[in-house]
Amino acid sequence: MRLREMEQSRFYQHLAVPALLVITLFFLVPLVITLSSAFIGPGGGFSLAPITRVFTDPYILRIMRFTLIQASLSTLTSLVVALGGAYLLSSYSFRFKRLILALSAVPFVIPSILVVLGFVIFFGNNGFLNTALMKLFSLPEPPVRILYSYKAIILAHTFYNFPIIMNLVATYAMHLDRRLEAASYTLGASKAKTFFAITLPRLLPAIISASSLVFLFCFSSFAIILVLGGGPRYTTMEVEIYRQARMVGNTGAAAALSLFSIAVTSLMLIAYNRSQRRLAKSEAYLQPLFLEKRPAGLVGRALAALYTIITLLFVLAPIISVIVRSVYSSSGFTLRWYRQLLNVERATSHMGSALTALVNSLLIALIVSFIAVSLGIGLAASIQRRRRGRGTLELLGMLSMTVSSVIIGLGYFLIASRLVGRASLSYTLVVLAHLVIALPFALRVLLPEYRKIPATYTNSARTLGSTPARAFFAVELPLLKSAMVSSAIFAFAISMGEFNATLTLASSTIVTLPIVMYRLIGSYNYQGACALGTILIAVSALVFIATTATKGKKHAY
Amino acid sequence: MHTSGLVCALGASYEEFTLNAQFAVEEGELACIIGPSGCGKSTTLQLITGLLPLKEGSITLFGNDLTSVPVHHRQIAMVFQEYALFPHMSVAENIAYPLKLRHIKKSQRTRRVDELLSLVSLEGYEKRKSDELSGGEKQRVALARALASDPQLLLLDEPLSALDAKLRKHLREEIRRIHDETGITTLYVTHDQEEALSIADRIIVMHEGTVMQSGKAEEVYHAPNSLFVATFIGEGNTLPAHLLHQDDEARGGVIFFRPEQVTVHATTPGEYLPHLAFSDATVESCEFQGGRYRLHTRWQGHPIVCYCDRRPRTTSINFSVRKQDILLFEGTNSKNLPR
Repeated sequence: MRLREMEQSRFYQHLAVPALLVITLFFLVPLVITLSSAFIGPGGGFSLAPITRVFTDPYILRIMRFTLIQASLSTLTSLVVALGGAYLLSSYSFRFKRLILALSAVPFVIPSILVVLGFVIFFGNNGFLNTALMKLFSLPEPPVRILYSYKAIILAHTFYNFPIIMNLVATYAMHLDRRLEAASYTLGASKAKTFFAITLPRLLPAIISASSLVFLFCFSSFAIILVLGGGPRYTTMEVEIYRQARMVGNTGAAAALSLFSIAVTSLMLIAYNRSQRRLAKSEAYLQPLFLEKRPAGLVGRALAALYTIITLLFVLAPIISVIVRSVYSSSGFTLRWYRQLLNVERATSHMGSALTALVNSLLIALIVSFIAVSLGIGLAASIQRRRRGRGTLELLGMLSMTVSSVIIGLGYFLIASRLVGRASLSYTLVVLAHLVIALPFALRVLLPEYRKIPATYTNSARTLGSTPARAFFAVELPLLKSAMVSSAIFAFAISMGEFNATLTLASSTIVTLPIVMYRLIGSYNYQGACALGTILIAVSALVFIATTATKGKKHAY
Repeated sequence: MHTSGLVCALGASYEEFTLNAQFAVEEGELACIIGPSGCGKSTTLQLITGLLPLKEGSITLFGNDLTSVPVHHRQIAMVFQEYALFPHMSVAENIAYPLKLRHIKKSQRTRRVDELLSLVSLEGYEKRKSDELSGGEKQRVALARALASDPQLLLLDEPLSALDAKLRKHLREEIRRIHDETGITTLYVTHDQEEALSIADRIIVMHEGTVMQSGKAEEVYHAPNSLFVATFIGEGNTLPAHLLHQDDEARGGVIFFRPEQVTVHATTPGEYLPHLAFSDATVESCEFQGGRYRLHTRWQGHPIVCYCDRRPRTTSINFSVRKQDILLFEGTNSKNLPR
């Protein structure tokens, strides 16, 4: 009788079933449908024509090259800007250090449509930067003209991503054992020699890990390119997939491009995962040793000041600009756009759908976060408490991360185009797409917290007479309360800010907050967009506060 | 074999480790499983609780075959090495947890929690959370919680290993007292032989997944059935048998005696038949241990440890051991030296 052995593992296996069903039905099936259209010829039968046609088209090849080059370049510039800051943050203490470190985590939670808006408002021809410079130096023309260019893309990507590298590398470096450097000095090595022989090799996995993540973000960047690229000249893979599917109507080409995109993102994710695993193994995570060392000399102090300004300028200034612009125009203070948003005043242009969009977004995000956390917790429990096949299950849970949200949206678009749908059906599809996108993130928050709960708690409850199910609900779930809250907020924010998949799959009748923002930007109603953006900032701020609050809290197990 | 109490025949295999242990514990006994780390002690407990699956064999408790009973129906409570107190529950809630599972009424529950808290001498600790307790207090709460499930068998997995030496001594007396008051059959895993010898009714010595010997503490100490048990429990000296014993039969064997069985002489001992005499041993070091001296000596190139009452005045000493105290191990056999 091997019943006993089965009993507990069977309970935990059952917990994974809902999540696996969702992943299969709402992620794998649409994906297969999408990719299969890459193998269907004009006649309807099996054919490699869409693929060969795409990969021999010089226009498409140029887009592929451009996508890879802009991603590499953006990663490189982010890296260059970030590393100095990371070194500064991890080795010295100075006045605004904590603020900078906290702010550098902002891009993790800020939606890309907000980045675009902030960028336009701040760096645009009539933006805050140009207005300030023109006033300051009484110039007749805006001196900074970077919108809708290659430079704009790289700059926006850098602004969005350098804080991520700086944050990850600095946090890692702060937890390294500094006694190794001390040992190196006592063995007679110089400061430079010690840095290159001792510090840098240990930091390298963290640098590689952060860089591959940023490359991935830049490669599958969509909203930034769509708005700032300024047309077909600076188009990337993701935008081209969207364009082929929604404007040209060539789903075969879109599918063929998706194949290429998935291949690249999978490679990057494998690299990221491997470096993550190396990081986890490489060194014991120590409590940070706060070195009360002030930056030495004029150069050090200038560097500290420079990074403070860069971070404030890149991270905070665009966000504040959005808030300010939502209530303040050239004609002075106004609440007009909020009144239009709340339907108090007759709305102009796309502002008419703003309230509906806000309500939709809130509802969708609520549903998505509730389901994502429920599924995530079942999946996390199943991964953590099973004996075999953990890796496979975790991979399945994270699988939708390998596919960009535009491609996920494309799958739903293909399904929706076959169903003669009412609006409610389309909204269901939006919820499902958001769910598929949010699930891996919810899982990523829950799983590490689950790992911290020792198996002896469950074992102990079992020997005291609880069934596996009772032990799970009475012991494990209460301990995961704060992790569940933060993963719910995370999923909520992802859904609120989701733009790529929603735009790709939705018909024009469907409105969410980011979609209306995009339309407002497109019709040059920046103030209206800023009013909606401010709401999105509030949501992001909530996530930001929640994640930093839970990071500081440690359970004593 | 025993009809009452716990009877185990455990078989399970893991990567690079196979467990094949047979032993029995009588009703009401406090038995200690002792062995070096990696010998399978903790695995044995996990198999008895049912948390690990049994490959072959059986577990019988008071005549009932538990082999296919699920963990939560076995009525075997376990105190885990790191206590495993639920951090989101207070002391009282932790102890009440198994009572709730058995649907005991609230008024009775509160009374039982009070009783158990006073049994482990923690009156007034109801409201505390586990992170407000010291190691020793956590240990007591874990014990009270295990007892609250009204177990037929209580398992303790190295319950004192995380505590400091003084507290360990005190708590092991407490465990013995609580065992005597409740009369619950208890299986206690430890790697500390002093702990085992001082509180156990029965000692089960394990080595590499098998039970080497099971018996009363004195039995295991004075009549070990193998050289492993002899050297693992207590201190002892081993010498090649041929050095002292010229008989052909004993040539390949090893003789064994304890340091306290050595008598140190000031003068050369005479030929005294019931004794083996060792003359001209060099004293290499002498530790004062409070009640006695512990000598490291070397005799004909072999190290011998012995205890004596006085610090030797010379670096060269003579000593003798009664032949009846000497054990002779040959292969897997053991016997006393012929007198």
